[in-house]
Amino acid sequence: MLQAPSRDYSSVLGLALEKAKNALSSKGIVFSVEEGKGFYDIIVEREYLVAGATALKEAGFDHVVSLTVTDYPKEKKFRLVYHLTSYLDYEIAGAIIGLGVEVPRSDRPSVPSLTQVWRSAEFQEREVYEFFGIEFEGHPDLRPLLLTPPVAELRPLRKDFVVREENIYEGVPKSG
Amino acid sequence: MVEDVRIYGGWKDELGLKVVPSKKIGKDLYEVFIGPQHPGSGHMRITVRLDGDIIVEADPDIGYVHRTMEKLGEIRGWIKPIPLFERMAIHDACNITMPYVLAVEKLMGVEPPLRAKYLRSLLCEINRIGAHLYGFAIFGVFLGHSTMYMWAMGDREVFIELAEALTGARLTHSYPLPGGARRDIPADFPDMARRAVNYMRKRLKEYEKIFLNNPVIRSRLEGVGVISKGLAAELGIVGPNARASGIGYDVRIVEPYDAYPELDFEVPVFREGDALARTMVRVEEIKQSLRIIEQAVEWLEKNPREPIVDKYLYGKYPPLHKKIMESEGRAKLLPISAAMKVPKGRAIGRAETGRGETIYYVESDGGVNPYRVRIVTASARNAIAFKYVLPGHKIMDLPAIYGSLDYFPPESDR
Amino acid sequence: MSVLDTVASLIFYPPIWQLLILGFGGALVVAMVAVWFERKAAARVQRRIGPYWASPRLGGLMHLMADMLRYAFQQVVIPRTVDFWPFIAAPIFGMALSILPFAVTPLTSNPNFWPLPPALMEYSLLVALAITTLPPIFIIVSGWAANNPFTIIGGVREAFIILSYELIAILSLFAPAVAVGSLNIVDIVQAQGLVKWFIVLNPLAFLAAILAVAMSTSAFPFEIPESEPEVVAGPFTEYSGILYALNMGGAYMRRFVFGLLISLMFLGGWYPIVPGEGFILGYALPSLVVVVKAVVVVLAISFLRAIYGRYRLDQALDMAWRLVLPLTLAGILLALVEAYLGIF
Repeated sequence: MLQAPSRDYSSVLGLALEKAKNALSSKGIVFSVEEGKGFYDIIVEREYLVAGATALKEAGFDHVVSLTVTDYPKEKKFRLVYHLTSYLDYEIAGAIIGLGVEVPRSDRPSVPSLTQVWRSAEFQEREVYEFFGIEFEGHPDLRPLLLTPPVAELRPLRKDFVVREENIYEGVPKSG
Repeated sequence: MVEDVRIYGGWKDELGLKVVPSKKIGKDLYEVFIGPQHPGSGHMRITVRLDGDIIVEADPDIGYVHRTMEKLGEIRGWIKPIPLFERMAIHDACNITMPYVLAVEKLMGVEPPLRAKYLRSLLCEINRIGAHLYGFAIFGVFLGHSTMYMWAMGDREVFIELAEALTGARLTHSYPLPGGARRDIPADFPDMARRAVNYMRKRLKEYEKIFLNNPVIRSRLEGVGVISKGLAAELGIVGPNARASGIGYDVRIVEPYDAYPELDFEVPVFREGDALARTMVRVEEIKQSLRIIEQAVEWLEKNPREPIVDKYLYGKYPPLHKKIMESEGRAKLLPISAAMKVPKGRAIGRAETGRGETIYYVESDGGVNPYRVRIVTASARNAIAFKYVLPGHKIMDLPAIYGSLDYFPPESDR
Repeated sequence: MSVLDTVASLIFYPPIWQLLILGFGGALVVAMVAVWFERKAAARVQRRIGPYWASPRLGGLMHLMADMLRYAFQQVVIPRTVDFWPFIAAPIFGMALSILPFAVTPLTSNPNFWPLPPALMEYSLLVALAITTLPPIFIIVSGWAANNPFTIIGGVREAFIILSYELIAILSLFAPAVAVGSLNIVDIVQAQGLVKWFIVLNPLAFLAAILAVAMSTSAFPFEIPESEPEVVAGPFTEYSGILYALNMGGAYMRRFVFGLLISLMFLGGWYPIVPGEGFILGYALPSLVVVVKAVVVVLAISFLRAIYGRYRLDQALDMAWRLVLPLTLAGILLALVEAYLGIF
């Protein structure tokens, strides 16, 4: 049984960020930190992604909570962030740190797969693959997960896919 | 258009999606499709390859009830996604929308008053009991124990009615709002809640007699579907399933939200990691939820009523709305909330739903719609367990493992 | 001899009377009552009402009638992929063989009302038990003929269960025969008399028989071959309409046949009534007593569904070989001891 301790989330988060920063800089990885509400994103270059992931896993971030991808059509990029946290390291358990990379927006963007580092990313990478068309190099089983291939072909979560809504008043005269 | 021709184990595709080379079935393997039209699968399919009676490979194929929650969340304004997101798990409606509301609150910088926090936590716990009882019911059917099914489904009714008395709706309550809650408790609610709590405590003892300590059920569950602590962390299993494997992780403790820091409760953790432990965690959680309900009701009864929305928002209420709030304890939505704008930023909200941790990543560009809503529900993260836990078990263990994981396809498919 | 007499003599010709009219018709009614009781009793435990609205005064008994009619008139869908003739023939043969043991089961000690001539009744227990082993073969055939992963898995499971539990059912029903030293059912019942029932003298064999019957006829919590969450309906997955009803009815018939045998072997048969002369005293009353005892046995088995879940296949087989078979053998040993002591 766990008793509810009076746990201050922001101090845990700060500790986790320090730990992640140390892990990355000890491997000589260049990164920038962006602050969100309730989490920090660490953005690295594409070539450091796998090395950064390995370093963070060694630092105790043992599973992927969410593989968050956002499409920025104006800036011609995808922002792909693996939001991580820890189960086994009690000091930083629950603190969300993102390891992210910016992917240029092209027809067939690709990034190295981190499934080999975090098994928990496997299904989420498949999901991102079908919704954004981002390919994960080295993924063991890259198939659509939720969608059928014709729908996945439309890359539904990209911003240029516009939801067309039925007009329920179509054909109804405006007055009388 | 694409001709969607299915090749074995992969998809043929002409426009760029990768074709996975067809997997050869071994000579003596037998392929069985459990689902989607199958009494024991739910809205999903598990492709199972059998060597005799032993599962060699399992491939969960989810997505049969996908409803594009993430995309719809981007075009519906800030308030309307709340009733939308409830559809992921309607019997867990308050829990599943809670993280979204928390994320939007973080972005807006509003904070609900303590009374609203207690109200929301109260409904969350009522929902949690309902969700666990629903899970028990399905589990009972999977193990051929029809009495458990009927009992759990019947006793769930008590908590649905409790939720109805609080919110006015049996399942999709749309109760939490950014910065508050929708309704205060009615006058007869505390009595009703206490009776429900006492009733459930009595019933749990009977459950133990007929289900948990039933020799047949125990022999089906003990040592079946063992997930070790390391494997659970590697696969990112969440919620009661992780806690059954010895991982002491509960969002209510690691990032306390709402009234949970004020409440006295424990989080049950088991070390065995088998199907029985996963079941027992839920039983213990129901007991803890009953404790929380008692405390919350007592607090709500003792403390004077106050407006249950954030002070800043309440200041913007027109007199009529204020009157309704004071006389009936009901928070009416402001007309402007349809075109509400939320400051630019990124926020992660999370809550412990009945099936585990649910995360919403909400990004705002300062407009009337969320720029991006990423939803990762508990079931979505548990789905991977089928692939890695099932192999090595007998085919008759499949329902025992499925039921003990408490996997809920509509929640997973979003 | 008028036509009416011919018809009457044909109807009351013991094999036909007992097999078709009493056997099939009676068993149909018993199956209906058993299903109704199963649903009502389970509903009571589960705090529901159960079948009700079809006939509130009869407690919803007509509901089962409606179910039967529905099965009778439902379209029979036969998939293209099945082996047509075995697919059709298996349920029919299975049903026919399920009710055949009625033709050799005496329900009274009055020789005028035995289904077979007295000379043939010497081995009635042996014949009845031999016939009860046949229907499961057709369940396996139907599973194989339906040509579907679920039916084949179900058929194989049926084979496993039958291999272990039929043996136990037959051995445990033989225990009274060993004690009495006769294979004639009438002799065994007469030997039991008013008080020396085998349920008291040999409870081990009785317990084993009940367990084995529940398992081998797939009574609800033990319907491993038809286990819904994995194999849909097991061997019967592809069946619909009347063929499905035959398959499912066959199991109830078999359970009822075993119930009859148990009531004759262990529960003192027609005692406390001592059959006399004439139709009423010689046949109607004693057979009613036997049937009532059999129904009680069937209902007791049905009631288990409200309490237990389903065993896993390997656990069920494990239980058969490690627990129930030794129990049966102990029962036979007990019967031998009783025979040696000369209780009968």
